[in-house]
Amino acid sequence: MTSLDTNEVITARKAYYAGLAGEADKGRSVWFPIAVLALLLALPALQFTGNYNYLIHLVLFTASYVVMASGWNILGGFAGYISLGHNVFFAIGGYFAGMIFARYGISTIILAPLAGLVAAVFGYVIGLITLRVRGPSFIISSLALVMIFKILFDNWDFVGGSNGLSLPANDLPVQWAKLPYYYAFVVMAAFTVWASYRIRHSKFGLGLRAISKDEIKSESAGINTRFYKVLAFAISAFFVGMAGAVWGEYLTYIRPNIFLIILVSVNMVLMCILGGKGTVAGPVIGAILLVVFNEFFVATLGASEINIFATGMIMMLCLMFFPLGIVGTLARLKKLPRILNWD
Amino acid sequence: MEKLLEVSSLTAGYGDGPAILDGAHLSVEPGKIHCIIGPNGAGKSTLLKAICGMLKIRKGDVKFKGQSLKGLRPDQVLRKGICFVPQERALFPKMTVRENLRMGGFSLADKSGLEKRIDEIEERFPILRERRDQHAGTMSGGQQQTLAMARTLIIKPDIVMLDEPSLGLAPKIVAEMFDIMRLMAGEGITILLVEQNALTGLKNADWGVVLDLGRTLFEGPADEVLSDPRIQELYLGGKKAA
Amino acid sequence: MGEIIQIVILGLALGGVYALMGSGLSLVFGVMRIVNLAHPSLIMGGAYVAYWGFKLYGVDPLIMLPVAVVILAATAVILYKLVFEREARSAKYSEMTVLLTFALAMVVEGALGTAFTNTQRVTSPDYATDAFFIGDVFIPKGQLYAGMVSLAIIGALALFLKYSRFGYAIRATTQNREAAELLGVNVNLVGLVSFAIGIGLAGAAGSLVSFVFSFYPSKHWEWIAILMSLVVLGGMGSILGTVLASLILSVIAAFVGTYFGATWSTLTFFVALFVVLMVRPQGLFGEKPELA
Ligand SMILES: Nc1ncnc2c1ncn2[C@@H]1O[C@H](COP(=O)(O)OP(=O)(O)OP(=O)(O)O)[C@@H](O)[C@H]1O
Ligand SMILES: [Mg+2]
Repeated sequence: MTSLDTNEVITARKAYYAGLAGEADKGRSVWFPIAVLALLLALPALQFTGNYNYLIHLVLFTASYVVMASGWNILGGFAGYISLGHNVFFAIGGYFAGMIFARYGISTIILAPLAGLVAAVFGYVIGLITLRVRGPSFIISSLALVMIFKILFDNWDFVGGSNGLSLPANDLPVQWAKLPYYYAFVVMAAFTVWASYRIRHSKFGLGLRAISKDEIKSESAGINTRFYKVLAFAISAFFVGMAGAVWGEYLTYIRPNIFLIILVSVNMVLMCILGGKGTVAGPVIGAILLVVFNEFFVATLGASEINIFATGMIMMLCLMFFPLGIVGTLARLKKLPRILNWD
Repeated sequence: MEKLLEVSSLTAGYGDGPAILDGAHLSVEPGKIHCIIGPNGAGKSTLLKAICGMLKIRKGDVKFKGQSLKGLRPDQVLRKGICFVPQERALFPKMTVRENLRMGGFSLADKSGLEKRIDEIEERFPILRERRDQHAGTMSGGQQQTLAMARTLIIKPDIVMLDEPSLGLAPKIVAEMFDIMRLMAGEGITILLVEQNALTGLKNADWGVVLDLGRTLFEGPADEVLSDPRIQELYLGGKKAA
Repeated sequence: MGEIIQIVILGLALGGVYALMGSGLSLVFGVMRIVNLAHPSLIMGGAYVAYWGFKLYGVDPLIMLPVAVVILAATAVILYKLVFEREARSAKYSEMTVLLTFALAMVVEGALGTAFTNTQRVTSPDYATDAFFIGDVFIPKGQLYAGMVSLAIIGALALFLKYSRFGYAIRATTQNREAAELLGVNVNLVGLVSFAIGIGLAGAAGSLVSFVFSFYPSKHWEWIAILMSLVVLGGMGSILGTVLASLILSVIAAFVGTYFGATWSTLTFFVALFVVLMVRPQGLFGEKPELA
C-alpha cells in the first residue's frame, strides 16, 4: 500500500490556493503620464516659431484615437466582449453634436459630454439586447449593427442621407484654427485614460475582468454579470461618442462614409490588440503606433488599397505572434518598463 | 501478476500550461475493473487523456504490455487496443445509432467484417437494434452511455477507459452500466474508469486509485480503499459513508 | 398573382446562389469552428478568376468554375498551414479566428484592389442578359443557371458528406471533435480538407456571382452580413439549414425590394441576422446553441 499523509495533502492544497492568489502589486510611475500631458498642453506654443500644423494634426489625431481605443477597451479589453460595431457610437456622437452645431451654432466641444451621454444611452439599450450572446455571436451581431446603421443613416434625409451635411468651419487664423479641437481631444484623451485606470482598479473593473476570464463562474460568484456588462458597454459608448462629436466639426462635415465604414471600428480593435487589450497603457501605445503606421503608409504607398492591405497584414501578424500586444507581452515577460506600467 | 498497463511518475498538462499531473502512477491488471476517484479538478480526466495520447507526456512513462506509449497519437494508441470514452458527450448526436457504431470501426484497416461485427453487437444490446435509425442525440442518457460503451467493443480492445460513465444517470441505470462493465471484464476486457461518486465506483470495482492535486495518493484493492479511515474522511464524505 | 410568382422565382434563383456562397462558410465553421469573415473576400477572388478567364480568353465562367475551385482550394491549403493550424490550440480560438479572418479579409481586399482597382466589373456571357418567358413570367437565364449549378454542387457535397468515408470523418469531427479523434479520425487532416473544400466552394460561388452581380473588391463587406445571416439563421454548421435559410430570406428580400425599394431589401438580411442572433442563436434549424 502506498503511503498517505493527510497533512501533506492539506499543505499541498493550501500551497495550490496561494499560487492562484499570486502576483503582488507593483509600484507605478504617475509622473510619466502627467509629464506627457504637460508637454502636449504646451506643444502649440511651437506655432509662435513656425508652422507646425501637421504636427498638431498628428497629435490631435492620435489623441482622438486614444479616446476611441481606450473607450473600446473598457468593453473589449476589460470585459472581453469584442465589438466590431463601435463606430455606431462614433456616428451617434458625431451626428448628435453635428446636427445641433449646424442648427444652433453651439460648439461640439461644449456638446461633447452630452453627445457622449446620448451614445451611452444607445449603448445601454443596445447592450441590453446584444450582450445576451457572447463570443463569435456577439462579434457578428456587432457587425450586423454597423450594417443596419449604415443603411439607416444613408437613407435618413433629415441628416442629409449618404451625402451628409457640411458644418461651418471656425474663423480663427489658420495657425490657430486647429487648437480648440487639439485641446478638446488632448483633454478628452487624458480624461479617458484616467477613467479607464480608475475603472480597472475599482470593484467594477475587477468584476469585468472576472467576466472576461469566465463568465459563468463570475456569475455564480455573485457578480451581477448582466448589469456589469451592459454598464461597460454604455461607458465605452460614452467615450467613443464623445470623440465622434468633436470629430465632425474638426472635419467640417458629417457623412455616413466617415463614421460608419468598418475601418473605423477595425482601427479601435487593432489599436487595442497592438498595444495590449485589457491594459490601460495598451490603447495609448496602440494609437500612437497606428497613426505612425498610417502616416508611413500614406506617405510611402499612397493608395488606400495598399493601406487596407497593410492594416490587415499587421493585424494578422499581431494576432498570430503578439496576441497580448506590446504591453501585455512585456508584462508577461516581466520586462514592462515602469513608466508604462499603468495597470 | 503481470501488469497490462503501467503509469509511472507521470507529468502532463495542457499545451504549454502548468503541469496538471505531477507524480501520478497507476497499474492495471488484465480483466479487472479499476476505479479512479478524487475531488473535482484532481486531474482524473487529464490522466486518461494523457494515457490515450491526447496530451503530451512530459515526464515519466506509460507502458502498455511492456511497450512505452510515449509520443503516440490517439489513433495509434487506439490501434494498440486502448479505447477511451470521454466525459459526457462521446457520441455523434446527429448521426444515427448505426452510423455511430460504424464510426466505432473507423480505425479498422479492413472493413470487411465491420457490418457483421455491428450486427453481433446489436444482438447483445437489443436496444441499439431497436433504435438503429434514430439520431443518437435523441436517446436517453442511459441509452447513450450504452451505445458509447458498446461502440468500443467493435474493435475488440484490451482496455476500455471510461470517464464518468454514470454522470447524470439515475441510480438504477448506473447499476445497469456497471453490469455491462462487469460483463465486459468477464470477457477479458480491462476496465479503467473515473467515478465522481467514489462509493458506488469502489463498490463495483476490483482496484481503487485515489488521485488528488495531480498525483496518486493511494492505490490498492477496492475494499481496502473503501475501508481506509483517512480516505473515508477526505474523499468519501466522512465516517458515515462506510 | 403573376407578379407574386415572378418575385418568388427571382428570389429563389438568387437564393440558390446565396446558398452556395453560404455553404462553404457553414462547412468551415462546422468542422473547424472558424467564423470565416474572409469567406466573401475569397468569393471575390473566385469572381476575378472567372472574370479574367472570360475577358482575356473568352472562356465561359461556368467552365472557369473548376479552375476557380482549384485555385482557391490551393490558397486555402496555404492559409491553413500558415495561419489556422497554429491557432487551433489557442484558448479563445473561436473568437480569435473571427478577428484573424477579419484581418485576412482586409488583406485579400487590399490585394485585389491593388491588382485590379476598385472598378465595378461583371462577366458578360450571352446568357447573363438573356431570359426565358413562361407566360408573362420572365426568368433571367444567368440567375437561373447560377442557381441551378449552385444547388447541384451543394447536392454533390451533401452526398459526399453522407456516404463517403471521408464524409463520415467530416461529419463526425463537426459533431464531436474529441470523440472523432479518439476513434481514429485524423482531425487535423479533416480540418485541412474541409477548409480547402469550403474555400473551394467560395471559388465556385465566385464564378457564378461574377455574372449575376457586378462586383469590386470592397463589395465583400456587403456580403459578409448577408452570408452571416444565412448561416446563422440556418444554424451554424448545417448546410441544409443554410440552403433553406438562403431560399427563404432571398424570397423575403425580393418582396421587400419590390415593394419598398432595393436599399431595404438588403436590410432584410441584416435585420434577420440581428434578430436571429438575439432570439435564437442556434438558428432556426439548429438544435443547440453552438456560438453562444
Ligand atoms: N482543456 C484544458 N485546458 C487547460 N486546462 C484544463 C483543461 N481541462 C482541464 N484543465 C485543468 O486541469 C485540471 C484538472 O482537470 P480534470 O478535468 O483532469 O479534473 P477531473 O479530476 O476530471 O475533475 P472533474 O471531476 O471535475 O471531472 C483542472 O484544474 C482544470 O482546470
Ligand atoms: Mg473529469
